[in-house]
Amino acid sequence: MIIRNIGLRHGRQVIAASASPSCCVRALSTSAAKSATTTPRAPTNVPSFFTTPEQRARQEAIKAEIDKVPDNFKEFRSIQKKTVKMGGETHPRHLPDEMLKYPPHDATLEMLMAAQAHMGHNTSLWNPANQRYIYGVREGIHIIALETIAAHLRRAAKVVEEVAYHGGLILFVGTRKGQTPIVVRAAELAGGCHLFQQWTPGTITNRDQILAQGKLRMVDELDRDVPGFDDHIQDCRPVIPDLVVCLNPLENYPMLHECGLANVPTIGIIDTNADPTWVTYQIPANDDSLRAMALIGAVLGRAGQRGQERRYADAEEGIISWETPSEVRRFVQNTLAAKAQEKKDQARESLEPDGGREMIESDADIKKAIKELTEEEGL
Amino acid sequence: MGRHFRPARVAQATKELMAANLVHDTPRWYKAVNMIPPAEILTRPYPVQHTTPNPHARRPRNLFKPTRMVYPEDELRRDFFRDHPWELARPRMILELDGKDARYLDWSKGLRQPGMPLSGECVVQRQLWLMENVPNMTKEAAYDAARREFYELRQLEDIQRRIAVEEARMVGAYFGKSTLQYGMDIEDKEYERWKKWAAVEINKMEVEKQKAYTNVVDVPNNPVIEEELLNDVL
Repeated sequence: MIIRNIGLRHGRQVIAASASPSCCVRALSTSAAKSATTTPRAPTNVPSFFTTPEQRARQEAIKAEIDKVPDNFKEFRSIQKKTVKMGGETHPRHLPDEMLKYPPHDATLEMLMAAQAHMGHNTSLWNPANQRYIYGVREGIHIIALETIAAHLRRAAKVVEEVAYHGGLILFVGTRKGQTPIVVRAAELAGGCHLFQQWTPGTITNRDQILAQGKLRMVDELDRDVPGFDDHIQDCRPVIPDLVVCLNPLENYPMLHECGLANVPTIGIIDTNADPTWVTYQIPANDDSLRAMALIGAVLGRAGQRGQERRYADAEEGIISWETPSEVRRFVQNTLAAKAQEKKDQARESLEPDGGREMIESDADIKKAIKELTEEEGL
Repeated sequence: MGRHFRPARVAQATKELMAANLVHDTPRWYKAVNMIPPAEILTRPYPVQHTTPNPHARRPRNLFKPTRMVYPEDELRRDFFRDHPWELARPRMILELDGKDARYLDWSKGLRQPGMPLSGECVVQRQLWLMENVPNMTKEAAYDAARREFYELRQLEDIQRRIAVEEARMVGAYFGKSTLQYGMDIEDKEYERWKKWAAVEINKMEVEKQKAYTNVVDVPNNPVIEEELLNDVL
């Protein structure tokens, strides 16, 4: 153990303020007991005839200290700049955040290997159904073939992109510790939803009860809110995802089972001990490595982002890649029919032949109907 | 949980439901999943053979089990760490940079490589390079050459450490206990504990010795006992 006098390389007053005895005692003590000396608090604007001379002096001292902070900070930064090149050269090996900050569009074999995506489980714990993904045995574990990982990942990315292009809702699920930021970032990129806590069984099969509190929006081809559908939103059933991406299928069997029952395609990371039949699209990879999950999440998120961008670009050209659901059509039809009936009644009262039920057959009709509704309601 | 077929048949099931008019809206994933069918699952192809299988085997077993991956370095590593077991105690860094780590290394230049700490792995790779690139080089000769370079570098490290300690002491650093001092302290503590135990045991032995004399009764000047004895005799 070597004890040296560390030269103060930082700005003096700035650090001194935080290293004052009272603050140190506060910070380090675990008990809730107050320290002997009270910490200086920011001066409040108390009228002078309420404050004692000592309080006023203390307030002035605090203010003087705060006024010195900009100069001290400047000095601190200049000393830092001068001393940053002293000592050994450090090269950052790996920044854990880089997949979240700079998500790649594609994963090369080298990136997959560096992320430890090829490391399977002990050979005695394998599921023989996964034999086709395994390259060999090394150090008592199965090694998943890197080309297989890349090929399956690209296939899954294509599926995510196409579902996003067709206006599908993608749900990213990762319930293990440390998968929260991965799943949130992927959902953010792909314009989908995320889940990082336990899936409540029945969220699809019993969604009328479980998702009753969920908020819904009616949107147009550019994902802008469309007014006039509050009644429908209140009455309609909760929506289910169009694609579910699961980073840990072994812990999410109920969710994957429900997706199978409801005919929702799933993408899952299949480790050497996982069951490939639980999901529609398998990505054989190491689900225990957060770095590998971050890489795969980033690639799928970027794929979703590309799909969304393509969808918006086409929508601006007038090409809409998805269709209005039949219950929305029905709602619009019924509302228009109700309005027409009102008109008819009014006409009957004023002895005018009018009325007629308009048939909704295409999205253009819906647009016209919405326009009529909003104009009538004065929105 | 047996085989599950619903996830794989999602597209077919939806097609049948739509044909039967039980589902009216085409799901938004339908076109995508039909365009991109899922990969083949559950079949077991013949695995990659990392070593040539035995041609004389009349009934080869475990044909579809993944085979063990073998590299020439494995034998070299085994030999090196058998000869230098304490090198296994040195900490190793196994985090990869970007997967292209091996491309930044040039074993023709020596044992020290950028981004890689000096270890037995360096010796093994250098030995392999020498075996493959130097003509008429045997495994043993390459091992000796690489080993000697390694010893020089380790000795250099030791000297640097020694000088660093001296320099530190010169400017006022002081160090904690050395391993020998630490060991001596433990021995002293154990000795003190033993001394206490020994004192207790000695005490016990003394008490035992005393017991042998405490029940001895002196007969003269004890009239009661004299009378009893006389009664017995009579």
